[in-house]
Amino acid sequence: MTKIVIANHIRRLRFEHREMTQQELAEKIGVSRQTVNAIETGKYWPSLEVAFRIAEVFGRRVDEVFEYSRGGRK
Amino acid sequence: MSFREKSAWVTLVAILLVSAMYVFHVPRVFAPSHWALAALAVSLAAFIVIELVAWLVLRLRHPAEARTPKDELEKLIELKALRIATYVYVAASFLAVFITLHHLHGSATMMGASVLLAFIVAEIVNYTARIVYYRRHA
Repeated sequence: MTKIVIANHIRRLRFEHREMTQQELAEKIGVSRQTVNAIETGKYWPSLEVAFRIAEVFGRRVDEVFEYSRGGRK
Repeated sequence: MSFREKSAWVTLVAILLVSAMYVFHVPRVFAPSHWALAALAVSLAAFIVIELVAWLVLRLRHPAEARTPKDELEKLIELKALRIATYVYVAASFLAVFITLHHLHGSATMMGASVLLAFIVAEIVNYTARIVYYRRHA
């Protein structure tokens, strides 16, 4: 089975938006700071709703924030 | 450490403390039957008091986080932990009933105590699993 990899550019986007902290982003999208950290470090893939909210905060499309790719075999 | 993880720690410690207190009373529980209810009532009251005090302290220290509803990751963690705990509870209950009936010539009190023990074990597993999942996502 092919492994799916979902990368994201949240860290870069936060810094491009006046070094927004994880806490500030968490408050804007209505989740905890720990959840933002888990998403940012790739430990948790968010729901579509949260993904769209993150994209909205940065004024980008979802595919500009999250990147889908097929990795190696599992 | 998040507010929810701290809450899980508090509940786990409270369950372990109260369970230890309950087990300490077990020899007396099986003498006259009213001891069973008395020990259970005292343990339950102690658990509620510990939880309430700890919850108030946590709420005072993290007022913003305490007011925020659980997000999707926190809900997912709770569901995953609950699923494991449910399997443990079902398996432990059957085991407890089997052991009580076949090896301890089960009285109603012993049967009740063994199923309660299965529930306590399941709750310990539930909160331990939550903490493990919170740590994995930290």
